[in-house]
Amino acid sequence: MSHDHSHDHSHEEVEGSWRDAQDDRPLSVARRRFLAGLGTAGVAGTLGTALGATPAHAHGDRPATPVNPWRGRGRWFAGDHHIHTKYSSDAQYEVAQQVAKAREHGLDWVVITDHGGVAHEKFSIDQVAPDIERARRSHRDVLVYQGLEWNIPGAEHATVFLPPGRSTVDILRAFEAGYDGGVLSTPVANGGKGLITRSTSADGEPYALAALRYLEAQVLSGRTEIALMFANHPARRGVDSPHEFRGWRDAAPGVAVGMEGAPGHQAAGIKAADGGRGGGRGGYDASPNQDSFPGYAPTAAENPYRTYGGFDWMTAKVGGLWDSLLAEGRPWWVTATSDAHGVHKDTHKQGTGDHATTGSRGAPIDTGVPQVNSDYWPGFYSSTLVGADSKSYVDVMRGMQGGKVVAVHGRIIDGLDLRVRSLGEGDNRGVTIGGRTFVRRGDDVEVVVEVDLTRGANFAGVVPRLAKVDLIAGPVTGPVADRDALSAPATRVVEQFEVARSARGTVRFTHTFRGVDRAFYLRLRGSDGNRLTSDGNPVMDVVGDADPWSDLWFYANPVFVDVI
Amino acid sequence: MWLGAVPAVPGEHRAAHVDALLLDAFDGVAADFVCTHVDRLGPVAVTTLSAHVPGEVDVDRLAEALGGPVVVLDDSDGADDSDGPAVRAARAGRDRADGRCVRFPGQDALTGTHPAAEVVARSAIDRVVGIGVEVAPTDPVETLGFLRPVCREGELVLLVEPAVGGVLRPAEAETPHECCGGH
Repeated sequence: MSHDHSHDHSHEEVEGSWRDAQDDRPLSVARRRFLAGLGTAGVAGTLGTALGATPAHAHGDRPATPVNPWRGRGRWFAGDHHIHTKYSSDAQYEVAQQVAKAREHGLDWVVITDHGGVAHEKFSIDQVAPDIERARRSHRDVLVYQGLEWNIPGAEHATVFLPPGRSTVDILRAFEAGYDGGVLSTPVANGGKGLITRSTSADGEPYALAALRYLEAQVLSGRTEIALMFANHPARRGVDSPHEFRGWRDAAPGVAVGMEGAPGHQAAGIKAADGGRGGGRGGYDASPNQDSFPGYAPTAAENPYRTYGGFDWMTAKVGGLWDSLLAEGRPWWVTATSDAHGVHKDTHKQGTGDHATTGSRGAPIDTGVPQVNSDYWPGFYSSTLVGADSKSYVDVMRGMQGGKVVAVHGRIIDGLDLRVRSLGEGDNRGVTIGGRTFVRRGDDVEVVVEVDLTRGANFAGVVPRLAKVDLIAGPVTGPVADRDALSAPATRVVEQFEVARSARGTVRFTHTFRGVDRAFYLRLRGSDGNRLTSDGNPVMDVVGDADPWSDLWFYANPVFVDVI
Repeated sequence: MWLGAVPAVPGEHRAAHVDALLLDAFDGVAADFVCTHVDRLGPVAVTTLSAHVPGEVDVDRLAEALGGPVVVLDDSDGADDSDGPAVRAARAGRDRADGRCVRFPGQDALTGTHPAAEVVARSAIDRVVGIGVEVAPTDPVETLGFLRPVCREGELVLLVEPAVGGVLRPAEAETPHECCGGH
């Protein structure tokens, strides 16, 4: 469908002016921010509204401006922001192999994210950068970002990445040297900084905030167009406390934008009897350690250290941690990645290089024999769909920054269009995924969902069947007093749309919120219906017995609705 | 008597590995109940330890073996108002308020697959609690030779969850997935 060029005059963006968000020349970015009064003092809390990229918290006193306006069916670009190569001590593939496999499995963009640390900072960066350049040249239809899997000081891992640019490698190198939890916690005698007790200990937390502010500063100064951070496998070890998510987001709202809704390693739970690793799906088989947040302790009701339908507990639990962030009006997006280190049934094994002294495992060795592993190739099982104006490095990142993101497993859907709009006074055009719209108090809000059902087989050779779509909603209640809050008790599934067994092509669902009297948010998820609790929620994955292909979900990012 | 300690713990190692080091330090000490705790009152979380020793103990030797201070809880009138991480640990162990139990009476008898009722009958574990499932007395618990029940509100509780083969397994496994930080 073509773009909708009708002008909506309540919209603040003005083409060709400093407020034109489409103009992404570096000088314009810095100048727009300056003119918009968003100098460094404006970073905390409000940055990005004028850019239409990162909606700020809900405030009744700001002029209503739709974010992510609905423009008909947009384009989705599938990708993966979490991929390892031989430059990680626990991984094995060449950059070129990973990019070729990603392309083969339909991805438009990938981020190369080897683990940060002393050896990576010292030896790997200079090797991976030219490998990435070569991969770009040999696969011109795939965007290959250079990134890092950052050991967040005081917390878990995170993807950090930038678009290609003159300063990209310099920024990534300085970032890793200054702020990687591995570098910071390694004793000076071993080449590190010796500044924090452990990579995950709480004395690292201020470094994490400084790190994100550093990236934000690189954007503000025009050294890079954009820089993004997504927290990876957030609940795996319980070391990402709720206040840390809030702190990251507040420190750098244009950079710290989300987390893996679903971790990689999705093959890890396949039964040993079926030739699998027999571990926890997602590699989630841990239990609390000394740096874990005590509020995540397993109980008779739940185990936050496990995946639920392949998704991280923080995302999978209705009214859980993710919802507690959204209920604040806080934009925070979820994704799905491969975390590909070693691919299940692939025949390669790690090379023999000494990573500690060379920064590389060396070329992988083809054994000719399928190996038992935890991961799938990029794009084989997990996809992060990003809505973007074009397939360009900066546009795809802006789509992610703005939350136009759907996390999909096993091709459970082929596409999704969401339109949320006021039926009375307010924003009648409406907005789409990741957006923010407004309605006059007491008016109705219409939600229209169109799902493109899967037209072909996924990479397990099966055409998956979507059984249902859940519409989840909850009130936006503003900033929490307790920064470690991890629940949103009023958020719930408001409607469950059944997909008819005979349905083909595109299915359409609508829901109307009548007489809306307070700000709220809504989001969608869908399932193949194979593994559900009695109330339609995902089931905790069983360690050693989790076939990922028979338990498929998608999660779409939220839309916020303000009341004026 | 109840002991508390702040052992020197090697960073970023598997819990089971740390447990083994701690229990090695108790060689020759007749401790029948040993728990690890996490003390979060300081800027950085610290692993502490509590132990119940029915007989005599050479505190200095134990402190040397653990690589950190050991205190004996003064239980004479129940009003010990001294504080510090070691004392807090000893109290938490004594009261079974919190902690993760690495040694407890009956542990050695539970190395195979046992009905839940037997786990309770043959050991100091008070309850077997299923995560998301009800546990019937006859439900098999596959211990895999590794049990780390937790202290909660005065009880020793073994958390279990459904596992492959239709059995229950402890929520804490001996060898969870290695997560490499590359450092």
